[in-house]
Amino acid sequence: MRWRRGSADRDRPVTELDLLAVDLETTGLDPSRHEVLSVGMVPVHGLSIALGGARGYAVRPAGPGGVGESAAVHGITDDTAAGARSLSEVLPVVLAALEGRVLLAHHARIETGFLDAACRGHGVALPDLVVVDTVRLQRRVLRRGRSHAQVADQELGLAAARRHLGLPRYRSHDALTDALACAELYLAQVAALAGDGTMTLRQLQ
Amino acid sequence: MDAQVTEVADFLAAHAPFRELPRPLLSALVSSASIRYARRGTRILSVGESSRVMFVLRSGAVDITDSEGVLVERSDVGTSFGMSTLVERAPSRYDFTAIEDSLLLVVPEPSFRDLCQSDPGFESFYTSAHAARLRRAVGQLHLADRGGAVLRTTLGDLLRRPPVGAAPTTSIREAAQVMAREHVSAILVLEDGHLVGVVTDRDLRSRVLAAGRDPAEPLATVMTPDPETARSDALAFEALMAMVDRNIHHLPVLDVAGQVLGLVSSTDLMRLEHNNPVYLVADIAGAQDVGVLVELASRIPVIVEQLVAEDASARDIGRVVTSLGDAIERRLLTLAETELGPPPVAYCWVVLGSQARHEQGLASDQDNALVLSDEVTSEQDHYFAQLAERVSSGLEACGYPRCPGEVMATNPRWRVSVSTWRSHFAHWLETPEPEAVLNGSIFFDMRPLRGDHRLVEELRAPVLAATGQADLFLAYLARHAVSRRPPLGFFRGLVLEKEGEHRDSLDLKSGGVAAIVELARVHALLHGLPEVGSQARIAAATHAGSLSPGLGAELADALEFVSYLRLRHQGRQVRMGQEPDNFVDPGQLTDFERRHLRDAFRIVRSAQQALGQRLPLDTLS
Repeated sequence: MRWRRGSADRDRPVTELDLLAVDLETTGLDPSRHEVLSVGMVPVHGLSIALGGARGYAVRPAGPGGVGESAAVHGITDDTAAGARSLSEVLPVVLAALEGRVLLAHHARIETGFLDAACRGHGVALPDLVVVDTVRLQRRVLRRGRSHAQVADQELGLAAARRHLGLPRYRSHDALTDALACAELYLAQVAALAGDGTMTLRQLQ
Repeated sequence: MDAQVTEVADFLAAHAPFRELPRPLLSALVSSASIRYARRGTRILSVGESSRVMFVLRSGAVDITDSEGVLVERSDVGTSFGMSTLVERAPSRYDFTAIEDSLLLVVPEPSFRDLCQSDPGFESFYTSAHAARLRRAVGQLHLADRGGAVLRTTLGDLLRRPPVGAAPTTSIREAAQVMAREHVSAILVLEDGHLVGVVTDRDLRSRVLAAGRDPAEPLATVMTPDPETARSDALAFEALMAMVDRNIHHLPVLDVAGQVLGLVSSTDLMRLEHNNPVYLVADIAGAQDVGVLVELASRIPVIVEQLVAEDASARDIGRVVTSLGDAIERRLLTLAETELGPPPVAYCWVVLGSQARHEQGLASDQDNALVLSDEVTSEQDHYFAQLAERVSSGLEACGYPRCPGEVMATNPRWRVSVSTWRSHFAHWLETPEPEAVLNGSIFFDMRPLRGDHRLVEELRAPVLAATGQADLFLAYLARHAVSRRPPLGFFRGLVLEKEGEHRDSLDLKSGGVAAIVELARVHALLHGLPEVGSQARIAAATHAGSLSPGLGAELADALEFVSYLRLRHQGRQVRMGQEPDNFVDPGQLTDFERRHLRDAFRIVRSAQQALGQRLPLDTLS
């Protein structure tokens, strides 16, 4: 089954776009070797973040490696991970939430890569995701008004991007908070890029 | 783990009124809310627009302006705005504009209403008028009755036994026997339960034994008829002041209905707990020279600080400070008279301004004047000039600076006969000039301190009868009262004055205490009310219908709140060895105090607006 492309109308204005900000905490960057430890999802309706739809799940690693060194980054220990759900339980919830929505993520390749791997691993058809990446948007925000088009990598991190747009600093860095941070960043980026006009999905990609 | 967005809940929990919400209610609120972003310059809500949401500022800054574009408030992170449309179920009366890129937390109406229903604290935070909030704040400042007992001691509290009395027809001997048996130094003479006189040990000595009177004669022949009395709710220290002043040692105490409750003696008053202003008053009254007074006056700041620490109200502290100032001034007058001899004609020494209103603080100048009998001749003025100079220099030595505007009895202009005073007042009332009205307004806060009080009453009655009709005079006075603009509030640790104006210190006097004092004065004079104290004026003006009951109560609370903060500030300064002033660093105020100060400022502004609508200030040149 192919994924329904509900929001794939690329002329749809951002004010009518349904998105789902997704953040995954993982044991590493390689979907073929590393595992998902937690998932955070925050829906965005047009230019409004619906906090009631925010969900965060801890995921129990299937392999013997456990959390390993990555615990230092996200603070998820083997103990919390052990009490969590399996990826097979969480994956359908994530896919259902994505139905009809554009996937919004900061450096979306990680999210799409791990989702892709998870679908393959669980024999689920990979949805045909429409993706908006806040790293790409931030690059555009930063390029405006700069004579030289160079944007340094450290300017593109989630915290740095938020700081640049005057958004508040978050203390915790779990998947749910990062998904919210990404959703807020998206609102600020759209406002910064749109000027007085309204953007379409096409202009976000 | 189906986690909540804890960052948002934690953010809300750091700000009022969400801080007080139980966690489950807070979670429900977060789940119902959404987040929006407003770029700098974006209009979030406009005048006349209806909105079904309340906003909480998550980051950035939002200006709230009225329909004329005047800045009303600048919202800082954590503050709510736009809820008035929900509370009043009416279109917005303000424009809300992001002045920085802002993140907004949007709370929908049903969720707002649910919270109002489940949490009374939440509801009253938004729905009660500033007044109710401020009233609670005043209450919270003076937590219960911790300390301050001495100040709040009333004469009723001092009564230890029912009155010991005798009929006027009782023989002197019989009455003396009752006094001996009951171990009292005075007996009340009662006729049908009403007080008609008092007889003391001293009377038995001087009017009976020394005079060779027959002890079989009725008590009425030796009693002091119609003695001075006091109500049981009078403050003990004020009663002592009066007794010291009139040299009486026994004071019958009556209830509100005039029934005799008992008798207090100066000894009872002295027995009040140690280290209190009452002792200081007594010491002042007995001081033999100015040097002793200077030493005693230096204790006043310590007493103020102690009273603030004891959570006495600003009103009580103002009365104590004033009573001490009064005692010093009276004593200086007595000392001066002892040196100069008795006055050639009757006089009344009056105090003006804050001292007259019983609202003296630690940074008060001396303001006084002399009302002389019309018989006074220009040669006799020499006596009063010397009297005034002695008192004024004594006050200066005691820490009361001379009035920079020369409003003192040392100034020949303010040392004149009743008739001359009458023409002064007539001039202010009938042919007012703005400057003269301002300078003269202090004389409308006048209280006789020593001498023949009747001179002042002769003066005051016709003046008060005339103020209500002096339209132009009132208009000038009102215009000045309205011109003292209170700040809008606070923004990022600074005082927000008006658009584009921030200050790093808050003047608690100009837009606060002084603004309310002037409003109270205008209302009192508008109706010719004899009250002089600002709280008394507000109460009387409310009673007279000049202030609406709501606004009157609000103004009273605002005065108490701002005055209290001012006294506390001055007490701290004195402890740190600084000169007391009226300027507070907003960073030293708590979130709670800043919020309620903002309420107080709003109340002052609405009282100013109400007055401005009543008096035709615009027609003034």
